[in-house]
This record gives sequence, structure tokens and C-alpha cells, in this order.
Amino acid sequence: MWLTFIFLIIGITLGLLTDLRVPDIYENYLSIAVLAAFDTLIGGIRAHLEEKFDEKVFVTGFFANIFLAALLAFLGVQLGIDLYLAAVFAFGVRLFQNIALIRRYILERFEKNTRKKKSKI
Amino acid sequence: MLLAFVSLLAGLMIAVLFQSNQKPETRDTRDLWEIRTELNEEQIKQQNLYKQISEAEEIINQYENEPNTEKIETLKEQVNKLKEKAGLSEKQGKGLVITVKPIFRDIKNGQAYPTIPPELINRLLNELKLYGATDIAIENERIISITPVRAVGDSTYVNNRPVPPLPIDIKVMSKDLEKLMDYMEVNKINDYFAIENIELSYEIEEVITLPKYDMPIDFQWFDSENVETGES
Repeated sequence: MWLTFIFLIIGITLGLLTDLRVPDIYENYLSIAVLAAFDTLIGGIRAHLEEKFDEKVFVTGFFANIFLAALLAFLGVQLGIDLYLAAVFAFGVRLFQNIALIRRYILERFEKNTRKKKSKI
Repeated sequence: MLLAFVSLLAGLMIAVLFQSNQKPETRDTRDLWEIRTELNEEQIKQQNLYKQISEAEEIINQYENEPNTEKIETLKEQVNKLKEKAGLSEKQGKGLVITVKPIFRDIKNGQAYPTIPPELINRLLNELKLYGATDIAIENERIISITPVRAVGDSTYVNNRPVPPLPIDIKVMSKDLEKLMDYMEVNKINDYFAIENIELSYEIEEVITLPKYDMPIDFQWFDSENVETGES
């Protein structure tokens, strides 16, 4: 799990250092891709805490999510419907759910630890 | 390892998005000179406003302190002044006369008789006003603030009446006629007219008469709140 964070930070610093910029038209796609990436990362952390983590599922999920989100945004632009909002909504809901689950797991673990300490005393 | 790669990618995307969303802050890049000219403009505006206020106060004074008969006089004076300002009364005085003549070139197949397109008239009016023209009349049509200049079929209409065939006179009054003439003589607009085979010649005459605007003005669509003032 720590590897994820370390590499996330490395990625951010690399991105900031390279001074890359995306043209305005593609900002929509990138934002949705970032949202998908967040969703997958948080999902991965949850799976890790549930001890159900599978690298293959994680990686394929990451790319498939990004691809699908970008495709949806592209379709929306072509049809003149703000379809990317659907992706934003779906990812947003899942993000919150996953964060809530992670919080619960951490809380449970914390309570277990304190109980153990108490029983030791 | 794949996990690390994926998170690296995610981090990269976040950073790029963050950077693309950063807009450079808009800074005040005016130098001292620009600020000074702006200040100057504002001061002139202020002076004009003060002048208008004092004029209005004078009129109020006249109304309050004078007996009834003179009140009516003031009112009439006021109406006449406003009429003159709006172009509803005849005006006489020294003015610039622009003669609009066709140019005939030696072309074998002959050449169509030139007519003034409305865009050129509009442009000419804009240029004249830019250089300080106060009152303008095209042949017998007084130009006021709501005068329409447009193409109807093949001919050009001013004040909903067709402009007569060339040559015609455009009469202009201004506070500084010499300057206006100098500006107009070197103006690019002469070239634009020349493209249409029309020549403009300028002459200052001691006495010209501008006709009054004689069409009814429809006040239905006037909105006093949003009217932009031409003066500044």
C-alpha cells in the first residue's frame, strides 16, 4: 500500500517538473481520466484492506475505466450531450462508497487493536 | 510493480491536469503613461459632468426665481436648444462641404454609373464623427442619432429616402473645421471611395444650411436607462 503512495507522489512531482500542459479541448477527457484513476486507486486500497486484492483486476480495471470514461466523454461531445457527467457521477458515488468502506475497516482495526491491548493489560 | 506503474501514471495525470488548470494571474501591466492618460480621460469626463450639472442648476434657478411669463420663455428656449441638439431644427453657419462625384476612367467597355453603398456612408459618418463633426446632412437628409442608412434593393436609403444619384453634397458642421478637413483629406476613406469610382472633395464654405430632420421619431423603443451617451 505504501508503494502506491510513494509512486503517486513521484508521479505528481515528475508531472510538475516536466511542465506539461493539456490543451483546453482535452481538459475534459483528462479530468475524467483522473477521476477514473482515483476511483481505481481508492478501490484498490479498499480491496487491499479486505484482503481481496488482485493485481490483474486492479490494472485492467484502471485502464478499462479510463478508456471507458474517455470514450463516454468523446461520445458526449459528438452527440452534444454532457455524457461525461454520467461518468463523473458514477465515479463520484463509487469514490465516496469506497472511502466510507476504507474508513470503516480502519476503525474496526483500530478498535480490535485497542481491545487486544486492553486484554493484554 | 504494476501497481507502482499505475500509481505513477495516476500521479502524472493529476499533475498535468493541475498544471493545465492553473491560469496565469492577470497583472496590471499598464505603465505610468497609460495610467496618466486614463486619469486624464476620467478628469475630462468629470469636468464635463460638472459643466452639465452647473448648466442644469442654472436652468432650475431660472425657473424658480422668475415670474411666469419668463418661465415660459425659458421653457421655449430650452425646447429650441434641445431641438437643435437633436437635429430637429435647421442650422446655419460655417461648414465643410464634401462633394461626392463619380470618377470616370477610360475603360473600353464602358463603366457602370457609381452609387454609394451604405457601408461606405456609415464609415464616412463614423470617421467624420470621430474627428469632431457635430452636425451632418447628406444632401437633404439630416443625420441624427437614429438615422438609418441601409441598402434597399439596389439603392441606398438614408432616413428611409433614397440618396439621389451622384454628384451629391455632404454638409458637415464642427467646432474645428480646419482640423476636420485636414483629417478627412488624408483619411483612408478616400481610397475606399475611389475603389467604388467615387471621388470626395472637401471645401469649407462660409454659410451652409443643414436641413432639419422632418420624419416623426418613434419613442416607443427608447429606453432612457440604457442609452449610451455619445459625449464623454
